[in-house]
Amino acid sequence: MVNLTIDGKQIQVEESATILQAAKKAEAKIPTLCYHPVVEPYAACRVCMVEVSLKGKADLVTSCNTKVQEGMDVQTNSERALRARRLNVEMLLARAPAAEPLRQIAKELGIKKTRFAVKDPEEKCILCGLCVRACEQIVGASAISFIERGTERKVSTPFGEPSEACIGCTACAYFCPTGAITCEDKYGRKVIHEEMYLGPTTAIRVPSRQAVPMVPFIDKEACIHFKTGECKICAKVCDREAVNYEMDDTLRDLEVGSIILASGFKPFDARRIPAYGYGRFPNIITAMEFERLVNASGPTGGKVLMANGEEPKAVGIIHCVGSRDENYNAYCSRVCCMYSLKFAHLLGEKTKATIYDFYVDMRCFGKGYEEFYHRLLKEGTKFIRGRVSEINDLALTEKEEGKLIIRVEDTLIGTVRRIPVDMAILAVGLEPSVDHNQLAKKFNISCSQDTFFLERHPKLAPVSSFTDGIFLAGTCQGPKDIPDTVAQAGAAVSEALALADAGKVELEPITAEIDDELCSGCQICVGLCPFTSITYDKDKGISVINDALCKGCGTCVAACPSGASQQKHFRDAQIFAEIEGILLV
Amino acid sequence: MAEKAKDKTYRLHLMVCAGTGCVSNHSYEIKEALEKEIKKHGLENEVTVVPTGCNGFCERGPILVVQPGNIFYQQLAVKDVPHLVEEHFLKGRLVSKFMYTPPEEKKPVPVLNDIPFFKKQVLIALRNRGLIDPEKIDESIARDGYKALVKALTEMTPDKIITEITLSGLRGRGGAGFPTGLKWQLVRNAASSNGGGKYIVCNGDEGDPGAFMDRSILEADPHAVIEGMVIGAKAIGATAGFVYVRNEYPLAVQRLSIALDQARDYGLLGSDILGTGFDFDIQIKRGAGAFVCGEETALMASIEGRLGEPRPRPPYPAQSGLWGKPTCINNVETWANVPMIINRGAKWYAGIGTETSKGTKVFSLVGKINNTGLVEVPMGISLREIIYDIGGGIPGGKAFKAVQTGGPSGGCIPREKIDLPIDYESLTEAGSMMGSGGMVIMDQDTCMVDIARYFLSFTHEESCGKCTPCREGTKAMLDILTRITAGKGTEEDIGLLQDLALSIKDSALCGLGKTAPNPVLTTLRYFRDEYEAHIRTKKCPAHVCRQLNIYTINPETCVKVGRGCDVCRRNCASDAITGQKNEAHVIDRAKCIKCGVCFDVCNFGAVKVD
Repeated sequence: MVNLTIDGKQIQVEESATILQAAKKAEAKIPTLCYHPVVEPYAACRVCMVEVSLKGKADLVTSCNTKVQEGMDVQTNSERALRARRLNVEMLLARAPAAEPLRQIAKELGIKKTRFAVKDPEEKCILCGLCVRACEQIVGASAISFIERGTERKVSTPFGEPSEACIGCTACAYFCPTGAITCEDKYGRKVIHEEMYLGPTTAIRVPSRQAVPMVPFIDKEACIHFKTGECKICAKVCDREAVNYEMDDTLRDLEVGSIILASGFKPFDARRIPAYGYGRFPNIITAMEFERLVNASGPTGGKVLMANGEEPKAVGIIHCVGSRDENYNAYCSRVCCMYSLKFAHLLGEKTKATIYDFYVDMRCFGKGYEEFYHRLLKEGTKFIRGRVSEINDLALTEKEEGKLIIRVEDTLIGTVRRIPVDMAILAVGLEPSVDHNQLAKKFNISCSQDTFFLERHPKLAPVSSFTDGIFLAGTCQGPKDIPDTVAQAGAAVSEALALADAGKVELEPITAEIDDELCSGCQICVGLCPFTSITYDKDKGISVINDALCKGCGTCVAACPSGASQQKHFRDAQIFAEIEGILLV
Repeated sequence: MAEKAKDKTYRLHLMVCAGTGCVSNHSYEIKEALEKEIKKHGLENEVTVVPTGCNGFCERGPILVVQPGNIFYQQLAVKDVPHLVEEHFLKGRLVSKFMYTPPEEKKPVPVLNDIPFFKKQVLIALRNRGLIDPEKIDESIARDGYKALVKALTEMTPDKIITEITLSGLRGRGGAGFPTGLKWQLVRNAASSNGGGKYIVCNGDEGDPGAFMDRSILEADPHAVIEGMVIGAKAIGATAGFVYVRNEYPLAVQRLSIALDQARDYGLLGSDILGTGFDFDIQIKRGAGAFVCGEETALMASIEGRLGEPRPRPPYPAQSGLWGKPTCINNVETWANVPMIINRGAKWYAGIGTETSKGTKVFSLVGKINNTGLVEVPMGISLREIIYDIGGGIPGGKAFKAVQTGGPSGGCIPREKIDLPIDYESLTEAGSMMGSGGMVIMDQDTCMVDIARYFLSFTHEESCGKCTPCREGTKAMLDILTRITAGKGTEEDIGLLQDLALSIKDSALCGLGKTAPNPVLTTLRYFRDEYEAHIRTKKCPAHVCRQLNIYTINPETCVKVGRGCDVCRRNCASDAITGQKNEAHVIDRAKCIKCGVCFDVCNFGAVKVD
């Protein structure tokens, strides 16, 4: 530790500390421009100069890079230091009059106007070199540097051409204290309006506001460190030293007694219906996007805004997008009607827009649902019965200019209508999740006609699959709303717990068995068994049945060409004997 | 080696100066003419021509010195050669019409050592100038070259070498005057991080306007520098060295690379030097000519291949230099001094000079002085001796006004201080500095404000632009000085200039910025009246700042003496002069753009300037 005096205050700091760090501890304010805690000090702006007396010798030094020494007497605002600081700030002000942090420091130092010649009143760059240092030391790309000498000095890529070394991380713009460097790239993200993005913006984030556990992770695709090997700035600023770059995804094998599949759904991709214009018109959004938009922690803070940042004056909600449609999915997705009604209600609450609701049939089947529909009818939502045929922006009248036109056959009055709106929300249906088929294969689960997982019995075993110990919950089994999902999940858990609680498994008494002597090892039965209970024993060259898995369906028995597979209690001899007995009577 | 040296002996050696100055004055043509003429007379086995490094008396080039005898011929032309060869080398009669006659004497002085320019000089760094062919290592060895190296490598320990240098009192000749022995000791003591290795650097990035000492040493005696560096390497334990030379010095680069090759051939450089097991090699790094690269941290950045701009010190190069290794950086002249100290001992060297500054210093005398050239003088010599005894005084009998030392980093020393004994401390005391040794002499016709403006324009051009005070401050000072010399200065300008100068000196990052205000500060200190004249009466006392001049024609002189010659009217660029032959001419002040052409072309002194 080192003892020193700063502005008459005696303090003790680490040996490796700079005067600036020590001054912070002593609560002495030193203005800085080119200093940033995470890059190497540059000592170029000369604004942080302080007067240091040591061993009877007084000198001006830059506090950002000068290390403390025992017995130093630092004066941050001595006359000499202030003269140098004021003149340096005043000269910088002539270079970059538009640089806000510089103007702030000038104001604090009482400089109203620079006495030196101003070249460009719009100039913001103070040549602090933070961008250059960030690009070199943090990013490791060294894509930009200073070019030219003296007053001609400026930041540039080699020869002023777009640099191949640039990885587009925009760290330069981030580090620039004056806004002299800006970036316009929107990174291919969907933009709701200018500054706010739908979706991730940084390499470190939590998956969503509702994420459990609420722990940030590093997105390797977006992280500079995984591109250049440098940066590590998050580790530098994390006091808890929680950042670990070596931590990788790990695969763990767990032994369990039962499995509950709750793989959920994916929303119908509205692009598959080109007539609805999703992806072509910025103000046609899906239900999921609208949910994000009205969320108070969403990109607009919960305001319903269009791409141009304005509030819509008319909004259309289109039901049954991808559901109840022979061309896409024949089934009803069950939740769309009710969430559409919720949207209509929220829109009425948050905007002054006219709300149109285009429905095929209103399916309000749950508890209190019908009442909610009636409430909406009273709130003034305009319900139009009929399937929307097209959404476009081809105006026929002046009233339709700049609007989205929803074409629909109003089946209640029997005419085709054109409804101009500012925003259209597509109530997309539910489809099995992305990896649904792989899961089905892996767990040997059958699927029903609608491609959702097939339960063992629609009434008697609605949460069980055909395989013992594997249960189904939620939309993987079929479209359903949250109450139904919760109820089904509860049932699945109960089934699993019942198994665990019993501590034993009841086996089918009637299973198949393979006669070692007769089995030729042809493996026909292995592929046929619907319960994956037959495996092939390589050493013995025969097929083997796992009794715990076999349900005694008899498929293997019927298929076995050599008669090696026999069903207990239903052996060929027994069946023949029974037939014989019947025939005898 | 011995065979080569004695392969031929000659009756006469004609030492033709092949320094840059004389080469551009056609000394190579003279060399060829001499060889041709010698052959014509069948003297080729008796007389040989040797191209040498800079003789120093550049004003009088091209120069030929005949050895033995030290006969000095000057300002030769190719047409003079046949006469000279026939008379002197064939018939043995000295040719006095090619000899030098000092201004105050009537008879020419035949022998070099008798010429006042050479008489007061003490040659240590320039010991071999004009005496050897710099492209032949044998000639260097014949003049005790590499003797010190043998001594240092075989008889001395590193500590002993450092002690010797420390005792000699040698200080850095690059300008700042840091004790060389102490620097070596620091580098020797510095623990080298990441796997060992230390470096030696020779700073040959000479950039001061009007300075050519380093160039001359590298061109005249590259072996002295190489030898010094090897000794230094042994002392501090370095394995590799760099000579940083400006690319604008092609002759220096060429001669140095020849010298390096020869030294390697002779086992004086490279691995296992002289069989002692000591390895050290030197590379040439050519600089692109940025003035700031003469600053040691910028120089190192440049060698490393990075942007040549300075960084804050500490850490000093002795702690963390090239690629983070301890590095010893000395100037060309410093390295050239080292072998002599080892050869003749610290005591001998310390016997020359003053209390604090030992040995000699090379200066380049330029500007308004009779004997322009390169001189090496003992420390403590007075400015008067350099300017009047060695330099031969001011041309045209004009009055001496000031001398600018230390290049753009230095300051102007006025007439009153002409008896100042020159050493590091006295020059700093006077507001200037030793610098690398440029000496620009100024006479009564020099405007000190204009001089300050010139040096500021140089530092402004050469500022790397990293730190605010240097980048913006030199520009601000230059703007003010330009304003003053254009007659637009205000009373506040002097105060602002002074404030700026002091603040920049206080707060700039590197030596360039810290010393850039010196020309302004010294001229303000000694010639404040000139600034005031420019601002208050809008007059330039030396009539240099033309925007402040008023040109008039004395009608009497114009008619009576010049008979209205009309030359001024014909040359006037803005048709401001009216008049006819035999009549008095008149300048229309409204039209006059003050270019001064009329003043320059009038042969009768009729045009006056106020």
